[in-house]
Amino acid sequence: MTETTDRLESGDRIELKFPARGDLIVLARLVTSAISARAGFDIEELEDLRLAVGELCLLTLQGSDAQHGDLHLELNVLGDAIEVVCTLERAGVATVPEPEAEEGARLSEQILDALVDEHGRESRDGSARAWLRKRRGGHAE
Amino acid sequence: MDQDFQIEQRAGSTPPVVTVRGEIDVATAPQLRECLHNVIAQGEGSIVLDLLGVTFLDSTALGVLVGALKRCRESGGELYVVVADPRIVKIFEITGLTSVFTIVDSLESVGAA
Repeated sequence: MTETTDRLESGDRIELKFPARGDLIVLARLVTSAISARAGFDIEELEDLRLAVGELCLLTLQGSDAQHGDLHLELNVLGDAIEVVCTLERAGVATVPEPEAEEGARLSEQILDALVDEHGRESRDGSARAWLRKRRGGHAE
Repeated sequence: MDQDFQIEQRAGSTPPVVTVRGEIDVATAPQLRECLHNVIAQGEGSIVLDLLGVTFLDSTALGVLVGALKRCRESGGELYVVVADPRIVKIFEITGLTSVFTIVDSLESVGAA
């Protein structure tokens, strides 16, 4: 038996903060894949989480002037689940709404509905926040 | 970050074939949108969109495809989506878009091999 030392345990938390640019959302996906694997999720769940976290970031950015903000990603290992919280900090309200934003948000919500066990979002005090939770072996679909 | 993303239009094929490789997300979807709009603007009614080499696709990409499909149908054509990777097919399924797009699993299926 080989003892693994890179396993994450319940209570472990990883944080990532980066400029709120679409081309950097790939960082959130990469980190989520790595953390999910270390938290014991299988390859299919890991792919689901990678896609779901990308959608979480997109939902958080929607309707904001993200060019002036940061995305703060917090990944919490909670027993057999992982919780991801995405917060947009220091951004203003978008002056020109994206024409496809509404359709995009609808698709994001559908994807999250199918891939994770729980999710939600809120805007408060000038910052937007979205979160998801997925259990190992939960088969959210 | 998008060094693996590639998009090309195959010359001389009818209907035109647009081949995409890599990840289509919020960073790369605008390139796909521009390419499809250019092809549609050339007067081509239908397009074959080859996604066999696509490894990731998000809601932004789906939004671009829906927009291109509407434009194709407005001009009497169709957007044929070629996809075989189960992970990519799954994204179309969970968003209900398998009933919206004409999805095939090979270029041969639409006579574009």
